[in-house]
Amino acid sequence: MSMQPVPVGSADYNAVLEWLYREAALLDSGEFEAWFALLAPDIAYEMPTRQSVYQKDGDGYQEDFGFYAENHSSLETRVKRLGTEQAWAEQPGSRTRHFVSNLLLQKDGEGAFHATTSFMVTRIRSDLPYDLFTGERRDVLRPDGGGYLLARRTILFDQTVLKSYNLSIFL
Amino acid sequence: MADTVDIAALVDEEAGHVSRRIYADPAVYEAEQEGLFRRAWGFLAHESEVPEPGDYVERQLAGENVLVIHGKDGVIRAFLNSCRHRGMRLCRADKGNASFLRCPYHGWSYSPEGELVSVFAEELYDAEHLDKSELGLIKVTQVDSYKGFIFGCWSEETPALDEYLGDMRFYLDILVGRTPGGVEVMGPPQCWEVHTNWKFATDNFTGDNFHLYTAHGSIAELGLLPPDPMALSFGNLIQAQRGHVLHIVPGPPIPEAEYFGLPMELRPVIEETLSEPQREIAKGHAFSVGTVFPNLSFMQVMVQGDLRSPPTPFLSFRIWQPTGPTTTKVWSWLFVEKEASEEYRKATYEAYVRTFGPSGIFEQDDMENWEECTRMNKGAIAQRYNLHHGMALQVPPDPDFPGPGKAWPGSYGERTQLCFYGEWKRWLTQEEPWA
Repeated sequence: MSMQPVPVGSADYNAVLEWLYREAALLDSGEFEAWFALLAPDIAYEMPTRQSVYQKDGDGYQEDFGFYAENHSSLETRVKRLGTEQAWAEQPGSRTRHFVSNLLLQKDGEGAFHATTSFMVTRIRSDLPYDLFTGERRDVLRPDGGGYLLARRTILFDQTVLKSYNLSIFL
Repeated sequence: MADTVDIAALVDEEAGHVSRRIYADPAVYEAEQEGLFRRAWGFLAHESEVPEPGDYVERQLAGENVLVIHGKDGVIRAFLNSCRHRGMRLCRADKGNASFLRCPYHGWSYSPEGELVSVFAEELYDAEHLDKSELGLIKVTQVDSYKGFIFGCWSEETPALDEYLGDMRFYLDILVGRTPGGVEVMGPPQCWEVHTNWKFATDNFTGDNFHLYTAHGSIAELGLLPPDPMALSFGNLIQAQRGHVLHIVPGPPIPEAEYFGLPMELRPVIEETLSEPQREIAKGHAFSVGTVFPNLSFMQVMVQGDLRSPPTPFLSFRIWQPTGPTTTKVWSWLFVEKEASEEYRKATYEAYVRTFGPSGIFEQDDMENWEECTRMNKGAIAQRYNLHHGMALQVPPDPDFPGPGKAWPGSYGERTQLCFYGEWKRWLTQEEPWA
């Protein structure tokens, strides 16, 4: 697939960046149903596990095994679960901040945008210390009406051992 | 330290009481490191994780870093991952393949079989001060495997693995020995850290089915559990041997839910491989959760990974590795039959990762409970009051149960928890708890 770089500061770049900011705002304000409406029906949302390996053995990501292996239906299930009164991992809810930066953007031959970003998510539950989640997102955004739908998100997480007791949030 | 705690008083099996101190007291933690974890058999790795000569993984045994490595002679060994020279962590990756192991500090090099092969500037030593044959890697005292599951033990006195597992092997076979090829890992273990005492996890994995409708109330609300909160109260609680315990629970009375819901194409070979009583148990049940004493737990369950997928089985084994009095590192592996189709592998993976592991819609709520239980039980006032483990203790065992050990009818009850804590107490207080 031929990929065209999209320059920083161009109209497409700014529009995708603004979409990413708005997505982060929905997640941080707990508007999960509105967030879910941004997902394409064929979305693949994945987070491979990583191991610490010598450089000759690559980056340590396990392509076919992870912490998330989601499609539209399973993400809908997660969002609906958060709407129940007994989802104890989020009752009371986490306070999160999604920081999304370092956007590099390309456009493929079918007009979809391939966005690579760095993310840092802070989470606080109850009066516990900060949980910190950092890594890289590889997103595919498909133009839809005036906006975009998220068709793919691969979360390349920096930790090999998750230093948080659960992953009850979306990254 | 340990002598300030009367361990024997912390568990009362007859009354069904357990002291809160066992989940929080640093002295109890030290006592169980010494009495239990440095003596009991612990799971290290599965053979399918190190299939080729030179393959290794780094694991933990009683808090020590251990290298599990497949030798050129085909033997899988386990060593302390520490150079004999300065103690440096010899191999510094979670996994890999090595034709020899060279210490990054001063270059002492070992074979995959653990022999010290070469030393930097060897000509500067005289024979009296360097006997390489005495300086091989420190072996895990006992290493053995059962159906591909490699275990290690730091004590010479502890009985051999076969004897230690004893009648639990009958039940393990139903899970990991039900096809000629057995099982293999799918991917590396998921690892995560939880601020809980490890025994809250084992307590849950001794076969606690009665937490389902409250701890996992969200799943019931979504309609992914049967509406009747007593629907999963049937089956048996089983003490296979000593502290090795499990439950078995029937699913709905449909063929799909027999044999734990495993794929139809595997069933003829499962029926052929299992013995008659094992077959009877496998056929009649959809769920089994249990613990190989002390901290290797398993779950064979059928779940819907999402609102539209059919109930799909998965088999996970996990280690609850204590890293402190109130901290635990979890290692969770997903297993699948070697004979399984690609289609089933994908389905069982998705069912597992969507429901269990740190992001799972079931398990994320378990950890919420285990962390908060641990915090609450730290208090000196709280510790004046024992915790209650008294459910269904009046139910007698079923004399006609087809498997070994003791089996109590019904899967809502606290028998297996008490069996676990009783065994835990013996290891912390007795010279020869296995006797």
